[in-house]
Amino acid sequence: MSTDKTFLALADFLIPAHGDMPAFGSVCTFADAEKALDFRVDLKEGFDRGLDADPALSAEAHLEKLNKEDGGAFSAVTTIAICTYYMNPRVRELLGYPGQESVRYDSKATQIYLTDGSLGHVLARGRKYRPTPGL
Amino acid sequence: MNVESLSERGTRARRDEEVDVVIVGAGPSGSVAALHLARAGLSVVALEQGEWPEYNDYTGARPEHELVSTKLWHPNPNVRDNPNDYPVDTSTTDINPLMFAGVGGSATLYGAQWMHFLPSDFRVRSLDGVAEDWPFSYEDLLPYQLEIEREVGVSGLAGDPAFPPRGPYPFPALPIGSVGLRGALGMERMGWHWWPGSNAIPSEKFGELNACVRRGTCLTGCPEGAKSTTDRSHWPLALKAGARLVTRARVKEVETNEQGLATGVVYVDANGRDRRQRAKVVILCANGVGTPRLLLMSGGAKSPDGLANSSGMVGKRLMMHPFASILASYEDPLDSWRGPFGQQVYSLEFYETDERRGFVRGSKWNCMPSGGPVGVSGATGSKVYVAEEGRFQDFWGANLHENVARRFGHSLIWGIVGEDLPEEENQVVLSKNLVDSDGLPAPQIVYKVNENSNRLLKFNIDRCLESVRAAGAIETLVSTPVRESGWHLIGTTVMGDDPKRSVVDQWGACHDVPNLYIMDASTFPTSGATNPTATIMAVALRNTRRMIAERRNQKVA
Repeated sequence: MSTDKTFLALADFLIPAHGDMPAFGSVCTFADAEKALDFRVDLKEGFDRGLDADPALSAEAHLEKLNKEDGGAFSAVTTIAICTYYMNPRVRELLGYPGQESVRYDSKATQIYLTDGSLGHVLARGRKYRPTPGL
Repeated sequence: MNVESLSERGTRARRDEEVDVVIVGAGPSGSVAALHLARAGLSVVALEQGEWPEYNDYTGARPEHELVSTKLWHPNPNVRDNPNDYPVDTSTTDINPLMFAGVGGSATLYGAQWMHFLPSDFRVRSLDGVAEDWPFSYEDLLPYQLEIEREVGVSGLAGDPAFPPRGPYPFPALPIGSVGLRGALGMERMGWHWWPGSNAIPSEKFGELNACVRRGTCLTGCPEGAKSTTDRSHWPLALKAGARLVTRARVKEVETNEQGLATGVVYVDANGRDRRQRAKVVILCANGVGTPRLLLMSGGAKSPDGLANSSGMVGKRLMMHPFASILASYEDPLDSWRGPFGQQVYSLEFYETDERRGFVRGSKWNCMPSGGPVGVSGATGSKVYVAEEGRFQDFWGANLHENVARRFGHSLIWGIVGEDLPEEENQVVLSKNLVDSDGLPAPQIVYKVNENSNRLLKFNIDRCLESVRAAGAIETLVSTPVRESGWHLIGTTVMGDDPKRSVVDQWGACHDVPNLYIMDASTFPTSGATNPTATIMAVALRNTRRMIAERRNQKVA
């Protein structure tokens, strides 16, 4: 099996369709995974090892073998799969994740804990600290 | 002067020039010393083994953030594998020390949680019969704490009954968001202490610092330039005042003369050449691992056990704050990728000793968001998350989707910082097997989480679970003690009055070498349970002011 097919088979086992969420291969390509790998060249060696699969093994059996015998390769394949998936715009849209966004706020706005009484309860419970002895 | 152009300024001292002060390390304490010494008219050179931060390299605003940050901005230098850092031999420790070499120091990757030590932290012997009292008190340090807050640009809300009364913070507290409100709800339902987080992140523009936009990537470098680190808060002013800063300068030895006085340092420059920086006074600000490492590498044949080590205490009493985390998921959306990431609220409910709990001293809790989908999945590189009897399938397939659906955007994390008691067996030594990229011996950490800490963490985890469940948690995940949690490196060149039992006096001057100073958290006699950067910078300012006032009486070579 070619490298890209091997990876997609592993990625689809790791990230199948479930509920509203698509399988890896429905929204991501091997080229996407290669782009992700460009951000993490430290994983490249393990990734290549992880895709050197015995064609007789199922995706699950291959991952099981990697997890037991080559943690570095298992980590590289799974990290690239999951990060590629959650970088995908369609997946983010389905999750409702805009990314680490910039949020505007009014720094001088009165915070709700000052008006709903909750911080007042903390104050009402009184002093917590032990003062310096002798003062 | 623009912060982006600072690295282009000429820096190195002239060959054979003797300066008044050479500082090793440009992190929080070294930056404070450099700024105030330069303003007082002293000639100052700081040597930093890392480089100026490149803000374009902070990936927080880009889609690849979670992929890149787990390597490039990982707090463990052994994982980051950057030649500017030194590796650490962690084969004999329960907790990995975390740090970063660069202008701004390890704060480059901190959560910016800004907490003072409490009055009892300075009087643990008097109050609880453990360890030693500090040579000075909370009240002695408070004026320096408040001055540093103004330099750093801290946001927060005064009036916390867990502290003595104090004046207002320079900036209003950051919004605590849905995560903070949910964390507070649990504490409120238990009748326990909580307070809006104080953070070294201004909520409004301040000098070279921009206002926080709640990007939520504080722990992996702030791409907004809003998190206060000294490359923005102190170095622009220090350079303007005349201080010089040499980057990619790894100090390998503090040199002394026949009289045992420091004469300067030898460092390896960016081209791998040894250079000497002569100075009347040497200040070490290289953190609780780097400072003892440098002392143990110095001294030569005259001091085979290391420089300034007649007490035998250099490297000993390492404290790293054993840490536990609890992730709690809720039905309601909490927008839990939004920052600030250090602490939206905190609790000091269990800070003080109550011996009925079966341990002494206490803890600080901080409530923070849980981040992006990769992080909350628990699946990244899942080999490390799978217990020996566990199955990788538990984190993948339909389980992955269900875990992410339940946690992502719906969860918070309480971090529990436990006070670490000083024990001489917990220490920094020189590794016999590992060297850095210049061939210098790496530090080796010998550290065990002690029984007091184990009991403390268990008690606090049980209480925290009560709190999050009181607020409606539908799932909880506990990690204890977190191995990758040694942010706070404390105690390895302890201060004290007795030269036989301590390395430096209360002003940071070495008993053995009176013109060699230490100004990082190495000197702390005890660790408290709060994040130490505020106290590190305040103690450095106190020491620096004393050094300036007494400069005519300073013994020099």
